Amino acid sequence: MLSKTERTSALQWLGKQLFNREDPAAFFDPLLERINPMWVQQYTPARVERIEDETADTKTFVLKPAKRWDGFKAGQHVNICVDVDGIRRNRTFSLSSAPAQWHDNGTVTLTIKRLPGGLVTNWMHDNLKPGATIGLGEAFGEFLIPEAGEPLLYIAGGSGITPVLSQLETLAAANYEAPVTLLYFVRTQADIIAAQKLYELRQNWDALTLNIIATNESETPRFLKDGDLDEVNGIETRRCYLCGPKGLMDLATDLLTQRGITEDRMHSTFFATPKAALDTDALGGEVRFSNSDISVSSEGDAPLLDIAEAAKLSPRYGCRMGICHQCSCKKTSGTVVNRLTGKSSGPGEENIQLCVSVPHGPVTVEL
Amino acid sequence: MKQMNEAQLNELEQDLNAIRDEVLADLGERDANYIRRVVRLHRSLEVAGRVMMPFGFIPPVFVAATAALGISKIIENMEIGHNVMHGQYDWMNDPSLHSQTYEWDTVCTGDSWRLTHNYEHHTYTNIIGKDRDYGYALLRLSDDDKWRPAHSLQFINYILLSVFFQWGVGLHELEFERIRRGEVSLKEKLPFLKGFVRKGGRQAFKDYVFFPLVTFPVAPIVLAGNIGANLIRNLWSSTVIFCGHFTQDAETFTEEECEGESKGHWYLRQLTGSSNFSGNRFVHLLSGHLSYQMEHHVFPDLPAHRYPEISEKVQAVCKKHGIHYNTGSFARQYGTVLKRILSYSLPDRLREKWTAQPQTA
Repeated sequence: MLSKTERTSALQWLGKQLFNREDPAAFFDPLLERINPMWVQQYTPARVERIEDETADTKTFVLKPAKRWDGFKAGQHVNICVDVDGIRRNRTFSLSSAPAQWHDNGTVTLTIKRLPGGLVTNWMHDNLKPGATIGLGEAFGEFLIPEAGEPLLYIAGGSGITPVLSQLETLAAANYEAPVTLLYFVRTQADIIAAQKLYELRQNWDALTLNIIATNESETPRFLKDGDLDEVNGIETRRCYLCGPKGLMDLATDLLTQRGITEDRMHSTFFATPKAALDTDALGGEVRFSNSDISVSSEGDAPLLDIAEAAKLSPRYGCRMGICHQCSCKKTSGTVVNRLTGKSSGPGEENIQLCVSVPHGPVTVEL
Repeated sequence: MKQMNEAQLNELEQDLNAIRDEVLADLGERDANYIRRVVRLHRSLEVAGRVMMPFGFIPPVFVAATAALGISKIIENMEIGHNVMHGQYDWMNDPSLHSQTYEWDTVCTGDSWRLTHNYEHHTYTNIIGKDRDYGYALLRLSDDDKWRPAHSLQFINYILLSVFFQWGVGLHELEFERIRRGEVSLKEKLPFLKGFVRKGGRQAFKDYVFFPLVTFPVAPIVLAGNIGANLIRNLWSSTVIFCGHFTQDAETFTEEECEGESKGHWYLRQLTGSSNFSGNRFVHLLSGHLSYQMEHHVFPDLPAHRYPEISEKVQAVCKKHGIHYNTGSFARQYGTVLKRILSYSLPDRLREKWTAQPQTA
């Protein structure tokens, strides 16, 4: 998952024979972790070097990944894992620093806003301290700066600024000459993330036009409007990058499409806020079995095991009553409700028992 | 088996569910720290055993190395492997402690164990003809089985099974008795046999070839120590497991009485078909908390170190419903197991005569 499999195949083979596991290097983790947490092999450890306050509810975590980490391109995101109350939680965040910083001093940054009710973001804000380590995955994502020097338009909202920061810094360092405009929507002036950095960029880099718009400072909310786009010179020629809440992204996509900007010139990335699952909500949803590449829809309280079998899959199962864990399987996304306890799972990657898990909205299972 | 009506079974189910829910609601860092501490202890003991073994030409070091490696294997099999594969720690979402991918330090493959133990044994516990763990299709342990002359030597079979326990468990899924009866063909068992050979080969290679070879000048000592460690583990785990279901008062069931059973009935069967033994913390750790076999069988997927904590509550539920809470000292429980193996090796008439004699133990 977050581990790296490399090493020579002979050594890998021997390790498997001796330690009975696909990741033999991780066999000694429980001991290594005690000596130096950065030696852990199961995931790539990253040490928290510093934590900086951005706004009242947003912090930047400066991390130093172990040497074996492969690096990233501006705009990409990473999976991280942390243990919260004994449970390993995986989440995805954009890297907010430029790759150049990693090359210079080996650090990367994650800029993370507290989500109301969010388990991991709140835990990180409240419990993560400098010196601690977290698990880091390899970077991924296609939200990347263009190779040619085209004019660019960024539309970002709230914490959606994070991958944009990485890209702007990279562009500025390369002294990108084509015009670059950033329309940054924040609730109030106090909610501007990385304000200092943005102002410095504007000062030192002529190509950048910065327009920060507070949505909630007037009586009626001030959202993105067509007029904002009128002010962007030569908008038809711009390559557009969108990152923010779904409302803003939808609105921006509509307005840009009306101006004849085609889909291949619009890049977007966003992370939906996990919805609080309500027990009374109608259950069921779109179920995707990723290994078999099958998608089916389900209704009512049918458990995933029944759904999989109805889709002609034959997952391993046993007691069908939540006892034996024969049917335990990895859920990669979506929320399920445990039939026995009525409890909802988290939205991320975790192991579930198919026979007692009922989908609550779209779910992806490794099956 | 004790007869309970539907309402009573429902009440039993609710009483036990309440205990389970309370533990589930409380799972967290304490449980994670516990199992990680045990894993750390296992790694330390294994490293210590392997490192000391080549110096085994000094007799006390040989004893220490063999004991360390043997205990490390016991802890890995009983408290880590067995319990992790039950899904006791799946909620931690740690890929190293996940029930479906864990592979343990013994001949039996994880997949085979998950099928024969987690599913078959734990679902059909002590149902004669369905629970192949009852006597391992090798021993006659109740009068549900008709006596045959071959049974008279079954104590020797028991000793052999204990000595080679990891190989016996590894071959359990082969269902040799059904192959002999022509119910399944050897061909159907080929995929299983392939897995068995691969895993068995891996285990033998590690302990009997690789480690002796890398310490070549003292290879015989390392080989002897590794055989000793495996033997210690085999004898102990076999003994613990036999104490779980074959003690004097552990009951057996027929397929008919369990057909279409409710969860409450399943609970009742788990309680009456299992037996505990007492001991100190170290004994419980080394038995993987199977010394709390009754608690384990009603809640196989609760972290095992919780069993001592909920034992009193389970006892109270048993008392309330008039169910015998079957426990005793290790010596007493194991004594009744040996007696059962011996007495059922006799034809019924002789056995009845023997067991009718006044107890002296």
